[in-house]
This record gives sequence, structure tokens and C-alpha cells, in this order.
Amino acid sequence: MFSIICYLKEFLRAEWIKKFLFAKTPPLVTPPHYRDFPQLTGKECSHELRCMMICPVPGAIEVLKDENGKWNPVIYKGHCLRCGLCVEACPDNVLTSGRILEQNEIDRTSLLGTYHLVIDNKLCMKCGNCSVACPINKEIDPRLAHNATSSGDDVIMRIKNSKLTILHPEKCTGCKTCEETCPNRAIRVYRCVEGVQD
Amino acid sequence: MSIIQSIKNRVRQRSIHVCYVNVGSCNGCDIEILACLAPRYDIEQYGIYVHNNPREADILLITGAYTEQWEDKLRHLWDLIPEPKAAITIGNCPISGCAYNRRGARIDPPVSKHIPVAANIPGCPPRPTEIINTILELAPVVFKDYEIKKEAAEKERKAKEAKR
Repeated sequence: MFSIICYLKEFLRAEWIKKFLFAKTPPLVTPPHYRDFPQLTGKECSHELRCMMICPVPGAIEVLKDENGKWNPVIYKGHCLRCGLCVEACPDNVLTSGRILEQNEIDRTSLLGTYHLVIDNKLCMKCGNCSVACPINKEIDPRLAHNATSSGDDVIMRIKNSKLTILHPEKCTGCKTCEETCPNRAIRVYRCVEGVQD
Repeated sequence: MSIIQSIKNRVRQRSIHVCYVNVGSCNGCDIEILACLAPRYDIEQYGIYVHNNPREADILLITGAYTEQWEDKLRHLWDLIPEPKAAITIGNCPISGCAYNRRGARIDPPVSKHIPVAANIPGCPPRPTEIINTILELAPVVFKDYEIKKEAAEKERKAKEAKR
């Protein structure tokens, strides 16, 4: 009998009833280490296009010129995986997401890339789309157009003697814009990226 | 507003029945939906119940990049859900195809081409908090004063027909 009274006393406490009826899990907060969509830090982008090179998804990141004439990466939600590779690859720390930048500073890690351009001459129809679309070519020679023939030899590749010739492969940043614009898949970009720690 | 309407508004927003369907994703987003069910997030405390039966559902959660096999099936599934209803797509795949959207891939995103979609949750996968927040934010938009809105729409349609 005494135990029943004890039980009733225990369960009739206002505190217990409140806890029982209005049980809630802790409020939903995003932890600070969570890698959200990359945000701009406000540092100046030097247009090296390493973010575009490393991005694993088609159409997730693009480096565009804003109205002030400055380059800035643009992240497209609905494409972006939030993998954080663009944040890691950027040499100027233009983007930030979670604790990636802090952790890179602690570990002193960075990514190094080399790129190899390969042209299949059987498939190439010398339209010059790749050379015109290339963002690096555009930077070096803004007048490059019309089948990519009328320009100097500073560009990465252009049509020379009615043949697509690679002139400066070391300037390539591996953004794969040429590969996407090629109608025949004649040009391929092979990226070799390694993580380095010093 | 009548008393019955106010009761309906209250009740509908407190008991949202959800059905989820995978139209060809990698299962990452499905695992996030499962995480919502687990005690850490616990969607039942917000009155969201998972049934996986379209005839009982109010909201359809869609994951995946819409493969060819779903062409006739998703529309049928959508028609089975009783009014008022809404569809939410979860993840990048239903929006853009994400990593699957390559040359020669047998997918047909976005899902909004095939059935009317009320909200998209981007992310690969999105956090459970984002999923819960979207469902809770969408519920009042879809369910509040549903009968009144339906009547108004009916009247408008009839007025248009009379004009013709």
C-alpha cells in the first residue's frame, strides 16, 4: 500500500508530468564544423580556376566576372555536393566552409595538380571551339575567335596550319571547359592531383 | 472562418503523413530520411509520420535522379495520393542529376518536369534538420484553409468559363 502511494507521489509531481508530456529532443542546431555550401571570404580571386578543376560534379562551380570586373566563384545549389574540395584547392582562400581552412593551416596540406591535354586527331574536326571556349585563352588573347586561327602563340592551344596544336600545355588549369565544348569528344584533359604536406 | 475549418487547419498541421520514394538515387538521401526517424532528430515529435503508402500520405518525399523505369510509375503514384498533397524533392539528384548527370546517363532530371514539386532541398545529402524544417515550413502553405482555397479556385474557374 505504502509503495503505491509512493509511486503516485512520484508520478504526480508537476515537474515529472511536464517532462513526460512535453518531451522534446534538443533544438536543431548546425554544428560549427559542418561543411555547408562554400561561402565567399571576400579575398581576391586570382582566376587560377583550381576550384573548377577539382570539382567532381558537372556545373556546380563557375568563376565569373561580377559588375565591378572582379573574378569570383559562384556555387550552384542543386549541383554542389558540399565536398569542400574547392575550398581546399583554392590557393587564395577565396572560399570557406566549415573548418576546412583552419584544419589545412594546422596540417599544412595543399593540393598540387598537373594536367595533360590529349587530342585525338581522327575525331578532331578543327572547329576551334575548345580554343575559343578556354577561359585561359580568353584571358591571354580576348580577340581569339573565328575558328581560333587569328592570334599569337601565347595561348594554350589554337588552330595552326589547319591543325589543332598545343602550344603551352603548362598554362592549362584543368578546368575541362574545352572537353565540355568539344562536339566530338576529341580533346581530353587528364588531371593528376596530389595532396602535399610540408 | 468556421470552427470546423480552424480545427482542420490545426489538426492537419499537427499530423503530416509522409511517403517516400526513391526514383534512382544512391540511397544517401534515404539514409538521411531514416536519420530523421531516429531519436536524435525524431520527426514524430513534430507530428510527421512515415507510412510509405501513397493512399495515406499528405506529402511525397522524392529522392533520386528519375531513371527511365519511373516514367509511368511516379505519375501514377502521385495520382494515388489524396488531396491536399505536396511533393518535396530531397537532394541534388531530383534537381539537376548531380554526379549522375553525365553524357549517356539514362536519367531524366529534374523531377519537377514530371510531377508538380512544391519544394526542393539541395544538398548531397541534405542534413536531417533541413528536411524537417522544409516539411514543417511547407505544411501550413499547403494545408491551411485548403477547402476555402479550393472553393475560391473553383469559383474563379467557373467565372472564366462563363466569360467564354
